[in-house]
Amino acid sequence: MSTLDPSLIVAAAPAALPAAKAASPTKAAFRQFLRSPSGVAGAAMLLVLVLGTLFGPLVYPVDPLDIAGLPFTPPSADALLGTDYLGRDILAGLIHGGRATLMVGAVAALITISIGVTVGALSGFFGGWIDSALVKIAEFFQVLPPLLFAMVLVTLFGQKLTTITLAIGAVSWTAAARLTRAEFMRLRDLDFIKASRAAGAGNAHLILRVVLPNALPPIIVSATLAIGVAILFEGGLSFLGLGDPNTMSWGLMIGQNRNYVLDAWWAVTFPGAAIFLAVLAISLVGDGVNDAVNPRLRRR
Amino acid sequence: MNLVAHILGKLVNAAALLLAVLVLNFCLIHLAPGDPVQVIAGEMGGASAEVVAALRAKYGLDRTLFEQLMTYLHNVAGGDFGYSYYFNEPVLGLILQRLPATLYLAFSSLIAAVLVGTMLGVVSARRPNGLLSHGVTVLSLAGYAAPIFWTGLMLLLLFGSVWPILPVSGMADVVNPKTGFAYLLDVAKHLVLPSLTLALVFIAQYSRLARVNMIDVLSADYIRTARAKGLPETVVIVKHALRNMLIPIVTVVGLQFGNLFAGAVLVETVFSWPGMGRLVFDSILRRDYPTLMAVLFFSAMMVIAANIITDIVYRLIDPRIRAGAR
Repeated sequence: MSTLDPSLIVAAAPAALPAAKAASPTKAAFRQFLRSPSGVAGAAMLLVLVLGTLFGPLVYPVDPLDIAGLPFTPPSADALLGTDYLGRDILAGLIHGGRATLMVGAVAALITISIGVTVGALSGFFGGWIDSALVKIAEFFQVLPPLLFAMVLVTLFGQKLTTITLAIGAVSWTAAARLTRAEFMRLRDLDFIKASRAAGAGNAHLILRVVLPNALPPIIVSATLAIGVAILFEGGLSFLGLGDPNTMSWGLMIGQNRNYVLDAWWAVTFPGAAIFLAVLAISLVGDGVNDAVNPRLRRR
Repeated sequence: MNLVAHILGKLVNAAALLLAVLVLNFCLIHLAPGDPVQVIAGEMGGASAEVVAALRAKYGLDRTLFEQLMTYLHNVAGGDFGYSYYFNEPVLGLILQRLPATLYLAFSSLIAAVLVGTMLGVVSARRPNGLLSHGVTVLSLAGYAAPIFWTGLMLLLLFGSVWPILPVSGMADVVNPKTGFAYLLDVAKHLVLPSLTLALVFIAQYSRLARVNMIDVLSADYIRTARAKGLPETVVIVKHALRNMLIPIVTVVGLQFGNLFAGAVLVETVFSWPGMGRLVFDSILRRDYPTLMAVLFFSAMMVIAANIITDIVYRLIDPRIRAGAR
């Protein structure tokens, strides 16, 4: 054996091992998650909400933008959760609006995490001037209050669901970047990384296949929480009149009915409760995931 | 001397950040679809080609982007943030007029949140598995998940309709205006609901944070030493534990200032509080870009100021930093 095959050593790095070994910590974490009652409760709530928005229209085929009855009909047999100021059905709004709200939340969180992880990974992995430059950019973004910045972006670039999603995704990535950067700086100098590097692994391979998998646990937790934050942002924007008027969402329902809160409590109470339950479910799941992937912190 | 140099460095950095915010504002306005001149012409109810050209020249829009940027920066340096086309007033005046009400709301909520949050955290940390401790956990989850504008509307419903004991709109009684002490009392009454709404979110966060930190601090060796010396428990908590527990809270308060401000915007909209939030709402509705961009600038300025203050407070309560160890 005259030369050492570099791929062997690269593959020997713990995280670079394929499915056989990676599956077992995942399974263990999953089992641990199932042991957390609040996490499971959150997951169940979330499942009900998602299934409700996916299959609700089949069970309750009322168009949320149609006039279904007299304005301000209280909850009754005709309209289970009442009607809004235009006479649109609240339950139909909840069912259809949930799809937009949850979708905006998920996609915006994905954007947030993608930007944050990319910036944090490059910053923490390379250090030096790349780090200084990226930290400066992050510092700049931290100075702008995220919700206000998103408001300005949506006002300037139009009230469409895609713009709203992009704006939410673009404003709140600094937390994920800080977290990823710290993890990468911690891992960068560990022995198994050095071994991979010595064996000839390139930077891209090191970042994506060796360091990132080891940095994932806290990133997954922060991604979960980012969905909740994005849903709250969508609500806040819609509440200020910056929702997409052509797509029913929970935030839009509150924003459009808020001036009539004293005439029709049901028109704002139910959509708000839906947002509350969704974010609550997501943060319970986040806590459960945190306990499952960060065994050290479990006692808190 | 060290501290002075440090603060000077921070101020230079702050100036650079503010310049960057202005450049961003400028770029955003120019990237946004739509021609501002056409918007103004539209507001005027249509205009001929000559008038459009005159408007373009008046606002300097016929010059190069770089020249326009320089003009913008020069104007801002002189306190000119542009002219609001909806309110027909210079933007700076509009903002300065409304800033005090927002600061009043934001700071009263912040103080309430820090006091109540810390207290709840400290008391519940004494018994990590007690009833109060679980209560804090539930409260922090609920406070995190409830959209702030919805909490506000629910409180408005409760205290404006079900059990009408508090004013739910505005900052003072305009029908029967009061003077002197009665006026202050009136404003304080109007403040209760908006301030409570805004504080709840932060009470939820701080109580959770305080609880976790306090549990951590109470298990530290120096606390055991203090107890072993025979110090009364109150002294151990107040003199030894509280100060160490406060450091992460101060950090979070500083980091969260932007959120406090954004929360105030939403709460003001619910309760018609006459601050910047109302201004933001109106300028969004009217597409009043100069006002909106100036609000973004001023909020960035406040966040930067909050960061510098946090940094100083930090040095005051943490002797390790004061000694220059970090």
